[in-house]
Amino acid sequence: MVENIALLKEVQEFMPTKEAQEEGLALLSKLKLSHIGMQRVAQCKSVELFYVMFIRAMMSKKSHIIIDMPYTIIHNLQEIEKVISNIEILNDSKKNIFILDTLNHKIRYKSYNNLEITSNNSSSSIGLDT
Amino acid sequence: MIKFIESIGDRTINSLNSIYEALKFTSLCLIHMVNPKSYNPAMRMVLVKQIYFTAVTILPLFIFMASIFGSVIIGMVIVVATQYSLQDNIGSIIVTFVINEFSPFFTALLISLRSGTAVNTEIAIMNVNQELNTLKEYDIDLIDYLFLPRIISGVISVTFLSILFALIMLSSGYLFTLFYMGMDLHIYTALLLNAVEVKDLIVLLFKSIAFGFVIMLIPIYSGFKTANSYSAIPISVLNGMVKLFIAIFFIEVLALLLQSL
Repeated sequence: MVENIALLKEVQEFMPTKEAQEEGLALLSKLKLSHIGMQRVAQCKSVELFYVMFIRAMMSKKSHIIIDMPYTIIHNLQEIEKVISNIEILNDSKKNIFILDTLNHKIRYKSYNNLEITSNNSSSSIGLDT
Repeated sequence: MIKFIESIGDRTINSLNSIYEALKFTSLCLIHMVNPKSYNPAMRMVLVKQIYFTAVTILPLFIFMASIFGSVIIGMVIVVATQYSLQDNIGSIIVTFVINEFSPFFTALLISLRSGTAVNTEIAIMNVNQELNTLKEYDIDLIDYLFLPRIISGVISVTFLSILFALIMLSSGYLFTLFYMGMDLHIYTALLLNAVEVKDLIVLLFKSIAFGFVIMLIPIYSGFKTANSYSAIPISVLNGMVKLFIAIFFIEVLALLLQSL
């Protein structure tokens, strides 16, 4: 996993592999997930893969991160609050993070008051700016 | 009649378009190869791994095959040369056969079957799974990160393995000359050293580099052009391998033509 996370820093900033991997491991350890650093995709749970994907996106120079339907990425996710609080722990660089989801998941985001609901003739969706 | 002519025109345009696309891809890879910015830490890591998978893990099988083929084929060459009273030319026959022809060709075949197919399948699966698109989304240059390390590892591995194959083949050939002809080691080495020319080494290097380049480039291109479905993967590997073998024979013929000049 750590190789995957380090990739962007190595390619875009020419950061040495060891340094980039240490940075990736440091972010994983913020969520107490450093043990998955040396694991491969098949060995990780969906929630662990989600955090790896998120940390990899954090490594990008882009200032916006869009999480598209987290309930389809993380299997059996009960509470989105835990995930959002972990995202806030990781978001040191203060990137703009948006969560997009379908309207049928609206109830799951009830504790957030900055919910944006968009709808057109064919579909409706909700957006959450963390 | 007009439809027949139109179909010929269509095929010609499609073929020319495919050739143009392939040449464009090749030139892009070559441009990236000479650009120092392509050699980022991630690319270098992939390159080291590729060399390990292509050239190092194959070594036990490779050394075994080179030893077996070496003694058998050099034995056959010596027996035939003796039958036709060509004992005086045995050195140059062995050198030409082993260094110029057999070592690079056999190495190319072995690496094509082992690594060429693997690379073609790997890139095709990445393409079908949209992994290539994900890398592009993250502004990761596919040529720098995925293709270039494989092409360079192909060139390095085939060159290194061809030289190794030639050395093992010539060494194991000595065993045959020892038992069959009772030839002394000094006489055997002198025979080979007198026969070998700089031209032979240049041919070995040229062919190995050319083989290594196409052995990776063609499967990569074939995998990269795979249609977006799992059933297209075996077709991609099949087409890639056919094109690769045609390219290997083309290089072989080209090298023979250049040598005869």
